[in-house]
Amino acid sequence: MKIQIEVLRVVDEVLSLNGRALGFTRDTPLLGAIPELDSMAVVHLITALEEQLGVSVYDDDIDGATFASVGSLVDFVREKLPA
Amino acid sequence: MKAAATKTFFLDAHPPWPGQRLCTYHAPAGTAKAVVVYVQPWLEEMNKSRRMAALHGRQLAQAGCAVLQIDLQGCGDSSGDLADASWAAWLADIHQAAAWLIQRHDAPLWLWGLRSGCLLAAAAGRKLATPCHWLMWQPVTQGRQLVQQLLRLKAASEMQAGQGQAAAAKARQQLAAGQPLEVAGYTLPAALVHSLEQATLEPPAQVGRLEWLEVSTRADATLLPASVATLQAWRAAGAQVREQVVHGPAFWQTTEIEAAPALLAASLAALCDRATA
Repeated sequence: MKIQIEVLRVVDEVLSLNGRALGFTRDTPLLGAIPELDSMAVVHLITALEEQLGVSVYDDDIDGATFASVGSLVDFVREKLPA
Repeated sequence: MKAAATKTFFLDAHPPWPGQRLCTYHAPAGTAKAVVVYVQPWLEEMNKSRRMAALHGRQLAQAGCAVLQIDLQGCGDSSGDLADASWAAWLADIHQAAAWLIQRHDAPLWLWGLRSGCLLAAAAGRKLATPCHWLMWQPVTQGRQLVQQLLRLKAASEMQAGQGQAAAAKARQQLAAGQPLEVAGYTLPAALVHSLEQATLEPPAQVGRLEWLEVSTRADATLLPASVATLQAWRAAGAQVREQVVHGPAFWQTTEIEAAPALLAASLAALCDRATA
């Protein structure tokens, strides 16, 4: 749950959602549902997650499925966190 | 006392590069106490940060600095296409801008970089005969990170077509084969991407002052971890280093054009403050 809060905070900041993201749930769709989440924003989001949560993202991680929903993104981050 | 003034003109590029470079000169109020070359970031960041660069150029001029902003080869309103640009040409552009200012004013030289411009400023400064100082805004410490971002952007832009994973690998292969990278509407020559990838913020042999400024929207913001190591290296090399994080938006990448007044104020104080660290 803590990871979800952190991820939503980063999403909110990167996309300038002014707090809106803090109310998202696992089921909230991201890619395709949030207009602010274009290609450039995806790149900024990855950078922010790397810098702030300490994950490393590789080229082949960049997949539509990862960014489909809050749940998929949180699961991705959890998997990538250093053990 | 002479008032500060701004004028725009074209300079002929330094041979062997052809064409012209658009320059904006902010003439100082009174006698110049410093000369400053602005080293712009690249691609969209250059466009988004134009306003902040212009605001600060004018402020510095009012505070007594002579400031020259130059559009690099293939960028902005200068000659050439980005597809023909090179790191060597860009270094020559910065050197030429510095020479132009030094011919007109007897004052210390500062290279002021924003984001990837800091990498170019460091590279340019290393090769200058004149000693100089650096003003760095939100420095990118490794060109490699920027190239990684570009490849990610390529992947992200093809993601919705289901081609994300393959796109970055394919782009890497093409670059390795010397083919240009096409991303976000830009065509980047392989050699330029390679030069950028090699660029770092290693301190030069001759160091002076380094004023390092970062911007964050977080209340508890501290320097980026990569910055800490770089700052230590510059101190170890003997530079007089001061660093700050100020509150403000990432104006070089925000969707709407934004200003960061706290950065302007801090930068003015940092550059014009005569106290040594």
